[in-house]
Amino acid sequence: MPLSDRAFDYATEAFAFIDGLDDLTSPDDVVEAVARAFSLFGFENFIMTGLPNPKERFEQVVLLKKWPMGWFDIYAKQDYVRSDPIIRLCKNTTQPFEWSEAPYDPMTERKAAEVMDRATDFRMREGFCLPIHGINGYEACFSMSGVDLDLSPRTKPALHLMAMYAFERARQLLEAKPPVAPSLLSPREREALIWAAAGKSAADTGEILGITERTVTAHIVSACQKLEAVNKTQAVARALQYKLIRL
Amino acid sequence: MTTIHVITKENQQLYGDRLEEYFRLRHEVFVEERGWRDLHRPDGREIDAYDNGNAVYLLAIDQDRVVGGQRLYPTVLPHMLSEVFGHMAQRGLPRADRIFEWTRYFVIKERRMGRTDCRLLAAVQQFCLEEGITELTAVVEMWWLPRWQQVGFKVRPLGLPTMVEGQPCIAAAIRISAESLEHVSRLAGLRGAFLSRDSEASSDLDRVPYVAA
Repeated sequence: MPLSDRAFDYATEAFAFIDGLDDLTSPDDVVEAVARAFSLFGFENFIMTGLPNPKERFEQVVLLKKWPMGWFDIYAKQDYVRSDPIIRLCKNTTQPFEWSEAPYDPMTERKAAEVMDRATDFRMREGFCLPIHGINGYEACFSMSGVDLDLSPRTKPALHLMAMYAFERARQLLEAKPPVAPSLLSPREREALIWAAAGKSAADTGEILGITERTVTAHIVSACQKLEAVNKTQAVARALQYKLIRL
Repeated sequence: MTTIHVITKENQQLYGDRLEEYFRLRHEVFVEERGWRDLHRPDGREIDAYDNGNAVYLLAIDQDRVVGGQRLYPTVLPHMLSEVFGHMAQRGLPRADRIFEWTRYFVIKERRMGRTDCRLLAAVQQFCLEEGITELTAVVEMWWLPRWQQVGFKVRPLGLPTMVEGQPCIAAAIRISAESLEHVSRLAGLRGAFLSRDSEASSDLDRVPYVAA
């Protein structure tokens, strides 16, 4: 196909995607729409997140994500957000950038090198990141990745625009959502249920999260009470139904 | 306190010094700070072909000092998007007597942390609602889009981002609405009417020559 036709296709794709965002009614819809449209460019994973201030935890500021199972836990547990070179560059630029453009010194910044290296274990080898600088000092980013990306001067403008509108739609929908739902379960209770949904026993989950089996069971019991569920299976079903967890 | 003043051909004699200051500030912000060298003028006043009797200025003035400004211009006349940036509007360029182009928006450096931004943005919605203007078109740096969206502006892209002076910029249309005005006014801490119009009230649209053909 001639270049000009391809470029036109990206534009058409971008505008159709943006126009379609208005019809989405939940944050999950945004995850699905982004996953579908961005896969055309080779993206497999993405996260939209606020940038935590020193007192906030990473888990508290995440808006949406489609991240590989396990990576989120590692990232949160290791507190990689404080050393991630992608996050650092986000704070210092208004322009979108490729992950490979985010500078760090592998000799002196061991943890920065570690997060970039371990991400590749989860097929997060290349990436593209859009910083968001809003009003009243609001800072966020939309970071997306995969193993074989179609990033070029022809695709980037379309991606840039799509990412910006997708972020805004997610922000609007999350703002409109009653605050009761996300705070019903604690992050640990949600994690315990997500692993239960993946077929893991309390012992397995304890292993994965680096906590004892007894603590995992306590989180599950607590989640059951909050969800008025008689057992773990019903708690998982309800958490999915109420969109408190996602698989 | 900062007030937003509406300045047109009719009342500009009341604002001689303020307009001069505004053109000097434009030079400081756009040429010296932003580096748009094409706009450089030896007299240090940034004035272009659209600073004429058809332009409307909404200036933020605090105790006789201009702290921010913006310009509106009829799209039925040749304007920046039609003459210079037409290639950025691949989806078509909206032009009508109720659509104005919005240009030369700025807030002076020392006021960028406060509410001046929100006041100027509220002012443009308020002015357009009062004048029956339904839509604005503009070329804006991409990183500004979330700011507009977060103050409640409804922004439709007219094309894909394009590099202008080394920055990805986009041509966009902003829908004027009471809903957007309410949202941004709340953020600006404004209640009720807040535009200052020092002159005999006459609709600014009356003097726009309807000569698209």
